[in-house]
Amino acid sequence: MASIEQGKQAILLNKKYKEGLLNFLSAQGILVFFLICMFAFSLFSEQFLSQSNIMTVVRQASIIGIIAVGVTIVIIGGNLDLSVGSMLSFSTVLVVDLHDKIGPAGAIVLMFVLTLMIGAVNGLLIGFMRLNSLIVTLAMLSAVQGLVLIYSGGKNVDIANQSDTWFAIFGRGYVLGIAVPVILFAVLAIIVQVGMSYTSYGRRIFAVGGNPAAAVYSGIRRNWCVFSTYLISAFCVACAALVLGSRVMGSQNNVGQGYELLVLAGIILGGTSLLGGAGSVWKTIIGVLILGFIQNGLLLLGYPYYTQWLVTWVIIILAVWLDLANKRKRLFTTHS
Amino acid sequence: MIYKTALATGVMIFSAGLAQAEESYRIGITQNNVGVDSYQTTYESAFEQAAAKHGNVDVIVLDAGGDVARQIGQMRNLIQQRVDAIIIWPTNGQAVIPAIRQAHNAGIPVVVTNSKIAEAGLDYIAAFSGPDNVQQGASSAEMMCEALNGEGQIVQIAGQPGYTTAMERSQGFEEKLAEACPGVKLLETQPADWNREKAQRVMENFLTKYDDIDGVYAGDDNMGVGALNAAKSAGRADEIVFIGATNFAVGYEAIERGEYYGSIYQSPVDDAEAALQTALDVLAGEEVPKMNFFETPKITANNLTEFDKPVF
Repeated sequence: MASIEQGKQAILLNKKYKEGLLNFLSAQGILVFFLICMFAFSLFSEQFLSQSNIMTVVRQASIIGIIAVGVTIVIIGGNLDLSVGSMLSFSTVLVVDLHDKIGPAGAIVLMFVLTLMIGAVNGLLIGFMRLNSLIVTLAMLSAVQGLVLIYSGGKNVDIANQSDTWFAIFGRGYVLGIAVPVILFAVLAIIVQVGMSYTSYGRRIFAVGGNPAAAVYSGIRRNWCVFSTYLISAFCVACAALVLGSRVMGSQNNVGQGYELLVLAGIILGGTSLLGGAGSVWKTIIGVLILGFIQNGLLLLGYPYYTQWLVTWVIIILAVWLDLANKRKRLFTTHS
Repeated sequence: MIYKTALATGVMIFSAGLAQAEESYRIGITQNNVGVDSYQTTYESAFEQAAAKHGNVDVIVLDAGGDVARQIGQMRNLIQQRVDAIIIWPTNGQAVIPAIRQAHNAGIPVVVTNSKIAEAGLDYIAAFSGPDNVQQGASSAEMMCEALNGEGQIVQIAGQPGYTTAMERSQGFEEKLAEACPGVKLLETQPADWNREKAQRVMENFLTKYDDIDGVYAGDDNMGVGALNAAKSAGRADEIVFIGATNFAVGYEAIERGEYYGSIYQSPVDDAEAALQTALDVLAGEEVPKMNFFETPKITANNLTEFDKPVF
């Protein structure tokens, strides 16, 4: 009898252990994966874990990261923003071009105002007119790219005198040994995350994204909430444009092309649900950093960078699978 | 759709003795994607100006907006209108061949400008006019060799994978370097899609990976300046020689400042004028070679003043 009891206990223990592992993997799978990747790359490349390389990667990832912070809020609110790529082109071209014409301060202010206006248009169409966000922002993606081409006439814009403008600080500066883009990324992420976790505004966004009908019945002004998420997204894009323009000291008119997908990849990888109502900025940061380190690691190992597209794809599928496994409480589904 | 007819209203020069002035030609051009970059934008206006200079040329200027299907439609339109010649800047070297063959069969000579079409289509075109990108790559390799005195290790930042221009430049550069300069070792090549910010990122990674880089070859100056930016912020720009292609204004200025060794001067104005001239030669019944390359000289600090600063 004792042996049967023991067997039962062993099975139970095994089950418990399995569940525990599953829970841990589904909750922290991405983090574990991140650490495994870091370890694997460090075996093959001496420089990978060097301080200068880590700083380089974080600095490179900060532009995508800054945008991703804003888009995460839009997604938590139950919508999508695919227009950020073109908006980044627009804002960067604008701030670089105006820099020499009206001076850095004026250029920055005007760029922020115009970028926020595009965000407001998105917000009006999606928040107040209740149009589908996928379609509105997809259309905005090409419309804004068109605007950029009209504005620039197809020409690249450059800042003539690169060495003595204080505009350089946003992309090239350091404070206490930390690159300014990284500081901007961190500050923005902290403010937004605190806002989402500890204020009633944050709770309202979660409510609107999770269950819009219930949110409205609880007296939340859904239209305004959705509208505001697009303003946050536009603000983040404007900050990213500041970094990008200052870092390159010039801009092509399609410089932001493809950023919308990189941003989305980082967010999905982090585990923020595209269905809305859940997610966090912390997760997005990890997602964005994983993408950055993988790109850098593959480059250091000498792979052409398009292998990174494949690897990114595999990782995103893995992430989505883990997310689903978490919801189903099992890794594989047994029925079709 | 951009549909402009630049009538030759300007100076009507009745230069006596020129048979050309007697006959009037209608030439249609379908361009790749005007407005997306400065080179193509400048090309378009230069083409219209060049046509206006010839009193007897009437041009129909079209733009495909980078869309293959639209370009094929424009080819059909031009065939319908029975223009005397068609100039095409292919959106895709393969997909436009059937449309070119259609024009050929309709007895309309086709001149391909700027970027080549695939081998299969060469029988149907009257001529190609454009830059010789293999030669440009080779010239850059010569400059690299000269700048490094035949010894050192370098990295390459290439244009968009799959683009003929990018592949030909890399090919010309690598072949010439191996042949003329065995002492210079190419450590690694990575593409940066003609994008300055991407080139900057790639270069930052190269700088982390290699402690010793003596030279950078970039597929165009836009990317070359991105690499220069990265090296400058890493404090390693002084020890590295930068060589590009398609001289951009930023590259020109960097050469002026002595931060950039050299590039290849490729003028969209020359490109446009060469295309028009090739078409006119074909129409005049002259023997025109299949491949017509306009000159794209090396540009370094030594001969910088001989060139105007590029407008892009």
